[in-house]
Amino acid sequence: MVNRKLVKFLSLRYKILAFIFIVLAGGLVLLPKHEKQEGISPEKLLANTINPERYISTDALAEKMINQDPSLLLIDVRNESDYKKYTLTNAINIPLKNILDEESEPYLNQDAYDVILFSNDHFHADQAWILCTRLGYKNLHVLNGGINSWYNTIINPKMPTEDMAHTEFELYAFRKAASMYFGVAYPEKVKKATVIKPVTKPSITAAPKKVIVKKKKKKLPIEGGC
Amino acid sequence: MGPLIPYDIIPFEWSSIIAIIIGLCFGFILEASGFSSSRKLAGVFYGYDFAVFKVFFTAAIVSLIGLLYMDYLGHIDISMLYIHPTYLWGAIIGGAIMGIGFIAGGFCPGTSLSAVAIGKIDAIINVLGIMVGVFIFSELYPLFEPIYNGYFYGNITLEDSLGINPYWFVFILTIVAIIMFAVTDMIRKRVKKVFY
Repeated sequence: MVNRKLVKFLSLRYKILAFIFIVLAGGLVLLPKHEKQEGISPEKLLANTINPERYISTDALAEKMINQDPSLLLIDVRNESDYKKYTLTNAINIPLKNILDEESEPYLNQDAYDVILFSNDHFHADQAWILCTRLGYKNLHVLNGGINSWYNTIINPKMPTEDMAHTEFELYAFRKAASMYFGVAYPEKVKKATVIKPVTKPSITAAPKKVIVKKKKKKLPIEGGC
Repeated sequence: MGPLIPYDIIPFEWSSIIAIIIGLCFGFILEASGFSSSRKLAGVFYGYDFAVFKVFFTAAIVSLIGLLYMDYLGHIDISMLYIHPTYLWGAIIGGAIMGIGFIAGGFCPGTSLSAVAIGKIDAIINVLGIMVGVFIFSELYPLFEPIYNGYFYGNITLEDSLGINPYWFVFILTIVAIIMFAVTDMIRKRVKKVFY
């Protein structure tokens, strides 16, 4: 009796299998669709976010720019009006709200350049960095401190006090030279240049000339002392 | 989670070892299901045995449905899977040549090797023929190169080129497959029984 039932059941086996097939395939169609996790896994994103390796200092950036590093691509993530007022040399403007647009993808998702994102501080640039890193884009960096830090360190470097280390003075010298490269005019340098022309002019110009000499002399002993 | 090798869950170096193991299993199952018989394989073309057609079509659908479910549940990232690149005319001409060889020899390249393993003389000659073909192709490669490397369409899928929803496509394909299985069964019953 049992055998006969089994035989009867097994005679339907192909029909049963076909039915299972249709149910499974139909299930795929009927399943509720859900938004899929895009880009890299959350664990990876978190590990990348914690890692401070993405930051590039203003000094390192200035050096790269002065050496005209061809792999450098600067992206300003502030809005357009800020970008028009002031930005870094050769920077491209991609406002934060447009960072995921189709037009900005070729700039961000590539292997050829080291992209450096910057904003006024580094927070907006960090947000842009996280959005792009999540999509798996590579070679993205953030300018540490953003334009504010750029201004405070490169454009308007603070002169070190006498009790500071030798390296501070070297850094200052580098920053000063860099600021001159980026078009900052120092009064003493400008005056020094004008001095050559009015040789026969009144002695008023001679006075600041002496000041420059003094400054330079002051600098030298400190450097030697350390 | 997966795919296991692209995500480095299994190191890349293991891939050839895994390939050998899967290949052994595949060959064993081909032979065990009788696919080492050229008469059984040729039966598809003469209408007395559709086992090959059914087995491969079923395998394709099972893996399709399985992959889509795994992708849905997040066990497999379907975008990371390898998609074979499409060289349109290379595939059409190569497919036609293989079809002719399939009817004439009664083996496809995989089954011919599993038939060689059990010592079938026709399969040995078939494999020698494949080698001659490979030799001719390599010698005349400069002649064939424009077809071989031309008409390149990239790693496209039906989903990309037709723009259909993959779930609907699989559902329709499943129904088509079941209808075809039923039709081939009817054909098989009508065709005169062949002893093989």
